[in-house]
Amino acid sequence: MALTVAVVLCLASGFLLVCLSFSRQRPLFSDLLLKVSLSVGFGLGIFSVFYFLSMLLGMSRLLLVDFAVFALLVVCILLFRTRGRSFINATISSLPRHNAEPAPRSHSLLATAFVVSLCAAVYTAIIRTLAYPHGDGWDAFSIWNLHARFLFLGGSHWRDGFSPLIPWSHPDYPLLLPAAIAHFWSFVGHDTPAVPGIIGLLFTFSTVGLLFSALSILRGRTSAMLGATVLLATPAFIELGTSQYADVPLSFFVLATVALFCLHESRVQEDPSPNSSGLPVLAGLAAGCAAWTKNEGLLFLCTILLARLLTLIRTGPPSLTTIARRFAPMLVTIVPALLLIAYFKRSIAPPGDLFSDGTTALHKLTDPARYWAIARWYGKSFLRFGHWLVIPGTLLLVAFYFAAGKTVRKRDLNQADLGLRASILALGLTLAGYFAVYLITPYDIYWHLRFSLPRLFLQLWPSTIFVFFLSLVEDKSGAPTCGADAPGRGL
Amino acid sequence: MIDSRRTVVFAVFSFCCLLSSARLVRDAPAPGRFKASEIALRSDQRFAALKAALPSRGVIGYIGEPGNSGLADYYLAQYALAPLVLDRSDNHALVIGNFSASSSSQASSHDLHLQRDFGNGLLLFASEGAK
Repeated sequence: MALTVAVVLCLASGFLLVCLSFSRQRPLFSDLLLKVSLSVGFGLGIFSVFYFLSMLLGMSRLLLVDFAVFALLVVCILLFRTRGRSFINATISSLPRHNAEPAPRSHSLLATAFVVSLCAAVYTAIIRTLAYPHGDGWDAFSIWNLHARFLFLGGSHWRDGFSPLIPWSHPDYPLLLPAAIAHFWSFVGHDTPAVPGIIGLLFTFSTVGLLFSALSILRGRTSAMLGATVLLATPAFIELGTSQYADVPLSFFVLATVALFCLHESRVQEDPSPNSSGLPVLAGLAAGCAAWTKNEGLLFLCTILLARLLTLIRTGPPSLTTIARRFAPMLVTIVPALLLIAYFKRSIAPPGDLFSDGTTALHKLTDPARYWAIARWYGKSFLRFGHWLVIPGTLLLVAFYFAAGKTVRKRDLNQADLGLRASILALGLTLAGYFAVYLITPYDIYWHLRFSLPRLFLQLWPSTIFVFFLSLVEDKSGAPTCGADAPGRGL
Repeated sequence: MIDSRRTVVFAVFSFCCLLSSARLVRDAPAPGRFKASEIALRSDQRFAALKAALPSRGVIGYIGEPGNSGLADYYLAQYALAPLVLDRSDNHALVIGNFSASSSSQASSHDLHLQRDFGNGLLLFASEGAK
């Protein structure tokens, strides 16, 4: 019973938070798949943060805290969301437009492939979750679930879990996943492995749902099915998502950040009203959650801020007011997240293992052999990281771009595509950041590349698929639209 | 013309994706024939009796296979015994030994007094001279 209440509170809190950030003029249940997909990640993020805070403050009545957060969100919804159009009319008018023409054959073909790949992914994910209740691989038990056990079982000694005496457990890794797991365990009453297993499943399929729904809104259903099919057919994504690692949750928050910024730019173009800061606030929160999930998320948070600043500067020298107007909404959520992470890193976690020796790191930076080694591994992993059969997904996208020929073309990026430009730049900068970390790694470079690079690529894979299909558009040379739902917008 | 070209492109695209979906299903464990979780066998189940004999919190010593070869066993022990912290050192009042059943004699190289043998290479030591 308590667990059911916890699940409902978690998802409902996430849903309310998401709804709070969407336009007041749109009904609560518009863009439902997008909101539900986002709710999972944000709900778990809320649960994680409040569990951590309650541990810090020594609060034992967790259910009361959860109810208070939920009630606060309900009050905010009532206060800040104006009553817009009547629900039914608004819902009907916001539904996707459907052509009267029957869908082309290619559309049905794609829909079939999407459904088959979805069924295969769901089947495999459930089977793997049942077969590997403690996760599949080292990180699940030696990092994430271990930290969750310390939080849940440690009582007043929960900080022992971040002791430097357990160095390979990465005690400096942030706590989104362990604290969310521990939160649910405290409702169940024991540390059942079912909780991390189900959280893994939820993150995996909410990432797919988020990719599908965001592409569907921005480019139409055909692009959405193409993108989601590629992700569902990436074996390593489903396998890693059900291994109880934090890479798929991180990929969720990276995608959420990118998608929310792109949605914001698109909606500003449609309706440049001054009250449209909700989505950047939520995007900032997603970036903050990414940083609260893994150290790589902290790098992504920095790159998305830098990328947005650079794209803004490229459109013309911005005034301080423009910069403040652009950045203030996202900083509202990023700053508290950074403060939380800074507190954790300074007061609880020991120093990380990558940046310990400055002189040696500097020496490594001047070694060309390391650059070459990393570049070669990047090249190899570009083709291998998804564990695909026969055709790598990366090559498939490249081939699709050229093979589609006259039916698709690269979009001419304009002012309205600031979100897309910034996202592409942020993903590129994040990859460059990973490269720099490998340059200075204190570990054997080949060992480090071998065991982490495929996972780092997977963290960015859903967002890469998203920006790829977002940057393609139907040619206007009289060809019938392929996206039956959104003429002229998508493939 | 463009529609038929698109159909071919989407058909090839879908086929390539479905190949990988097939691999995903093929590599999944067969339902109904799951083996017992190796992690559970080597952690929670293996250490259940020992855990009951240990304090629930604090830091104790740990000895086992030396070097990186013993790292996985160490972390499985740490996972099972959390929130107790295991220090890979014998310089503690209580030290656990985690060996394979055949190599538990390695423990004799340490200056420790055996308190209890839990079998299967799992030992509990006391160290009077420890800090």
